[in-house]
Amino acid sequence: MFNAIVSADTLRTTLDSVSVLVDECKIHLEADGLEIRAVDPANVGMVDMRLSSSAFESYETDGGVIGVNLSRLEDIAGMADADQLVHLELDEETRKLHIAIDGLEYTLALIDPDSIRQEPDLPDLDLAAEIVIEGRDIDRAVTAADMVSDHIALGVNEGEEFFYVDAEGDTDDVHLELTREDLIDLTAGPAHSLFSLDYLKDMNKAIPKDAEVRMELGEEFPVKMHFDIAEGEGQVTFMLAPRIQSD
Amino acid sequence: MELAAFAERARAIEAESADGEIRERVTDLLTAANDDLPVVARYVQGRVFPAHDSTKLDIGPSLCYEAIAKAAGRNVAADDVEARVADVGDVGEVAANYDFGGQQGLAAFGAGGGQSDDDGLTVAEVDADLRDLAAVEGSGSTDTKRDILFSLFNRSEGDEARYLARLVLSEMRIGVGEGAVRDAIADAFDVPVEAVERALQVTNDYGEVAVVAREEGGSGLESLGLEIGRPVGAMLAQAGTVTDALDDWETAAVEWKYDGARVQVHHDPAGGVGDGAGESDGPNDRTRLFSRNMEDVTDPLPEIVEFVEDALDAPAILDGEVVAVADDGSPLPFQEVLRRFRRKHDVAKAREDVTVEFRAFDCLHAAGDDLLDDPLVDRHDRLEAVLGEAGAPALSPLHLSDDPDEIADIDAEALDAGHEGIMLKNPESAYTPGRRGKNWLKRKPDVETLDLVVTGAEWGEGRRAELLGTFLLSARTDDGFETLGKVATGITDEELEALSDLLEPHVLSEDGADVDVEPAVVFEVGYEEIQPSPTYSSGYALRFPRFLGVREDKDPDDADSLERVERLAERQ
Repeated sequence: MFNAIVSADTLRTTLDSVSVLVDECKIHLEADGLEIRAVDPANVGMVDMRLSSSAFESYETDGGVIGVNLSRLEDIAGMADADQLVHLELDEETRKLHIAIDGLEYTLALIDPDSIRQEPDLPDLDLAAEIVIEGRDIDRAVTAADMVSDHIALGVNEGEEFFYVDAEGDTDDVHLELTREDLIDLTAGPAHSLFSLDYLKDMNKAIPKDAEVRMELGEEFPVKMHFDIAEGEGQVTFMLAPRIQSD
Repeated sequence: MELAAFAERARAIEAESADGEIRERVTDLLTAANDDLPVVARYVQGRVFPAHDSTKLDIGPSLCYEAIAKAAGRNVAADDVEARVADVGDVGEVAANYDFGGQQGLAAFGAGGGQSDDDGLTVAEVDADLRDLAAVEGSGSTDTKRDILFSLFNRSEGDEARYLARLVLSEMRIGVGEGAVRDAIADAFDVPVEAVERALQVTNDYGEVAVVAREEGGSGLESLGLEIGRPVGAMLAQAGTVTDALDDWETAAVEWKYDGARVQVHHDPAGGVGDGAGESDGPNDRTRLFSRNMEDVTDPLPEIVEFVEDALDAPAILDGEVVAVADDGSPLPFQEVLRRFRRKHDVAKAREDVTVEFRAFDCLHAAGDDLLDDPLVDRHDRLEAVLGEAGAPALSPLHLSDDPDEIADIDAEALDAGHEGIMLKNPESAYTPGRRGKNWLKRKPDVETLDLVVTGAEWGEGRRAELLGTFLLSARTDDGFETLGKVATGITDEELEALSDLLEPHVLSEDGADVDVEPAVVFEVGYEEIQPSPTYSSGYALRFPRFLGVREDKDPDDADSLERVERLAERQ
């Protein structure tokens, strides 16, 4: 049983954070909210998302897992204005999700959860550096790097205590430094890793500009980015595997 | 088998040019393939799925270049890859020379989604990923396909990448054809090549045949049969004449050649024939239709499915033709049928626009019996029985005849009814799937020649200025001659001289190069076709006329009449 009412805005933000990586996912219906964990088809980027039941106007479930096509569900959610309410109800019998938005009714066929890629583990990596940064600064760094390159290096200068971004193009380069004053917080440690901009750009799309993002970095290790959505009622973690810095 | 090991062997095979050496190396490859034998038997000839399987990867070059670029490292764009391919001419060579593997996977950090963190790709992993890739559909599917492909390239290097790129773009080209794999299966598992050949014909699956050959030997291969729901290649015809047919067989089985599209009907009233996509107990689980290329065309042709459901009450595989018919029952051009075959959406609407009907001419399987080896006439009897009364309208009649005139009449009837003409079949022949042989003939006319009167000529040019070079030909009418065309080809220099000598006494007048000739000499002339034409006074023109000889034995009065020309034109 699953029966919930949520604002279109909250639903869309939630779905966006997952759909930037995958087309289909499993949604765990837990007593205290929804949980989604998914990894992209190439096993490079993953997302872990939970949305508390208190983010909903009303929320009832006795548990279970459903498989959904995210772009379908996003299209439906896109039919509503931001402040309109979306009513979701699972039909156990037909395994379909009934979605109602102000008189509009949509019945979404669900996907067999077993046919969806296995959910990844989210390991503790014990990363040495931690930066707390505003979403808009990540956006600025990614946008600048994208002008010259398809790779981006993220690092922390331990001695001088600043976070930096490097992008090397064939002809042009981009370098950005953010000091402790520019950041919300900085725990300096040895950190320098190279990432594919393709993935970081997609993740960036799902990070609200005004979000406080806690970024964990290491030496040639994955980056983890944690931030809240839905006014603190939802938590998202992205993890992205690095590229080898051969050159 | 590691992908690297497969790639190394593929490389060695590609380096060979002698058929015997290739066969030996493919044999070694199959012997070493172990659990991956079915996959390897397909991959070595550049095939990801069995021929009977309609599944497609649907990867175009640009998507592949994007995936390669993404795996290739810093600042390589799809355009760069495309430029290199244009330069080198082989996507495999380009892929082999990039330095892949720069992107690490999450699995290496303890977070995989079931993917092993071992770098070495296996053939089985490639196969599993390509199957996942083929199954992706809907919006965003292009990105997902590219990411899966990127992931494969990212985990491969050198020759692995070379053959992966070629495989996904169906450009394997290592010199291994179907025959080489067939022979190699026979050699590797010590079974008769004929048994392998037969098994391949009925299953269309090199993987399955290789495995059965290895596990169960020749007797296992013998026991492989047709399976309802798994299409086999359509038996094909070659061109031939009535004379050829009667010379070879004495009696020919004659049937109309329908102007439609080939379709193979698979039906089992008990179900289980479906591809799993439809409802498990619906008509689509009892009946599947396949095109000549073994593509599933069930969904676009619901009225054929309905007809089959109605007419058949036992398991059967039928071969036939789908024809489009107008409201009055007359056939519509082939293009109308194709419009229906290719339709994916709005089938109901298409069905209103163009009505299609089934014409069955062969029966490959009936009620548990494979009939491939039975004579055509027996198969046709089974066909008639299987169709029964309800299916009788779909039965294509088969006439046995040893009389050319009777056969010509059937041909004329078929043409009158708006179809293409007739097929001539050996009444005793077996059904050989996917093979073009001389047991089925598309009738082409016996070569007709015309004996025509020379009524004019033109002087040649240059070297041949002293000789008559082009001859105006006419057909006889009750009160004179009407022109039909000019012949200038098929004549040697020597013959030209002789012809000039022969005709010069009959020249009536000259106007520049043009010469008027008194009707006296008769030429035998071959041609491709008689066309209506305003150019000549007969109202017809010969297409590609060629000189065959002088009919010394004929006078202009014995030459062919315009009436005969008209009759021939009518019958084409």
